[in-house]
Amino acid sequence: MSGVVAGVDIGSTTAKCVILGEGSRVLGKSLNPVGVDIVKDAEHALEAAVQDAHLSRSDVAFVTGTGYGRYKVYFGQLVVTEISCHARGANFLFPGTRLVVDIGGQDTKAIRINERGEVVDFAMNDKCAAGTGRFLDVCANALGCDVGEIGPLSLQARHAVKVTSTCTVFAESEVTSYVSRGKDPKDILAGLHASIASRTLSLMQRVGVEPEITFTGGVSQNEGMVHALGRRLGVPVNVSPLSQYLGALGAALHGWERLPGGAA
Amino acid sequence: MITGGLDLGAGTIKGALLEDGRRILATAAAPSRGSPVHTAHRVLDELGEAANIAPGDVDYLCTTGFGRYTIPERNLQVSDFTSSARGAIFLFPKTRMVVDVGAQASRTMSVSETGKVLKFKMNEKCAAGAGRFVERCAKYLQIPIEEMGPKGLTSVHPKLISSVCAVLAETEIINNVAEGVPLPDILMGVFLSLSQRAFSLMRYVGIQPEVTLVGGLVRNVGMVKALHDTVGMDVNVTPEAYYAAAIGSAVLGHSRLLKLAQSSRGAGG
Repeated sequence: MSGVVAGVDIGSTTAKCVILGEGSRVLGKSLNPVGVDIVKDAEHALEAAVQDAHLSRSDVAFVTGTGYGRYKVYFGQLVVTEISCHARGANFLFPGTRLVVDIGGQDTKAIRINERGEVVDFAMNDKCAAGTGRFLDVCANALGCDVGEIGPLSLQARHAVKVTSTCTVFAESEVTSYVSRGKDPKDILAGLHASIASRTLSLMQRVGVEPEITFTGGVSQNEGMVHALGRRLGVPVNVSPLSQYLGALGAALHGWERLPGGAA
Repeated sequence: MITGGLDLGAGTIKGALLEDGRRILATAAAPSRGSPVHTAHRVLDELGEAANIAPGDVDYLCTTGFGRYTIPERNLQVSDFTSSARGAIFLFPKTRMVVDVGAQASRTMSVSETGKVLKFKMNEKCAAGAGRFVERCAKYLQIPIEEMGPKGLTSVHPKLISSVCAVLAETEIINNVAEGVPLPDILMGVFLSLSQRAFSLMRYVGIQPEVTLVGGLVRNVGMVKALHDTVGMDVNVTPEAYYAAAIGSAVLGHSRLLKLAQSSRGAGG
């Protein structure tokens, strides 16, 4: 049996794809921004990952779609919610995971899982940009920084400021007023990261905080956020370079089980 | 007797001069940027000029709003709730419910016939229910803020906004623009979304007529229409309601001055 499967995760900001081969080995992956034409973005994600794996599209026996745009993965055979996929992906990378924290571009989720990677409970904020990647984008913009550099910069802070606004719009004004008062951008950034960490913690508390905790989603690539979250929790959180692909990876794993002769 | 009221809001500083707590002599406003004291003085100067009154002729100055403690020469300061309620009663004596949508916060309160606040509810945590949301829309829709209301009124099929967050709504609105939704429909959708927010605050307090709209958004005809449609009853509006909190504090200043005069007369006699 040619055991090659793909998982395509269409998020609010980026499309991710992971190709899995025999023995659940990651053969290839891709990450691209999402535009207006989601159907095309999904196809592009698969093609890029297939190329990365040095395969051709016909080698892929099964495709699973997930994420916010999962119903636009028309070429897939299966659709699974991103909650199940993150749970499955986190369990695969860190089998001791009991709580998954997924901070994406537009929403945040806390997912409690069992030792088999099944979802036990979850809580989600998708109503408000506060505490999501979008919050960091807006604040980075207000500080004139690139979103990729704000994490490392925040780690150099000496006296983190206290950001009191919850609302992204008001936090943006608060950032501007700190800048005009001459505060160091690094200290402001540390305050912003701490503020998201607190917000995330309250979401996590709704499902119950239980280690190990695995951090996924786009914001997990921000080391400042990894640090702030670990500090707020009092225990370090699991992260991996694959964290951002965890939804896609989980989708591929779900697909794997559907393959005739695939892992049970 | 001339009393002044200054409302130091998050977006604008508004001022009013009253004669004997009954007649409005002048109103003025300036955006609150930089030093509030400096801007407040500009507003006071403007008021004096408009009413043809020297600064020394103002018998009593009462401040209100977010920055009410920043003005050293104030004689009295009152909360925004108290002043808005008093101002609303001054403009529409039958007011029982006041809706105040400001730049950074929105409030609703039920008031007694004397203008006393009975119950209130406020949202200052989220920009989606405040004028700030409208300002941001003006910016990314590239339309002058004062044109938004009239343009919104021409809407045929308002495009409702599903996001309850000002930032997420921005994406939604930009998508709507990309899909070719007419601008008036988008604008009316914004006003309806804001009205919906105000309406839930109103329901919390308990809706009773007459309802008077005060604060930054009274001059926006689109917002007034949206609120009317959402609440399903007439809403009192007048251009002066923009200055309601400033007027209210001048009225309160006047009553305080009367009381002081009475007690000193009492003490003297």
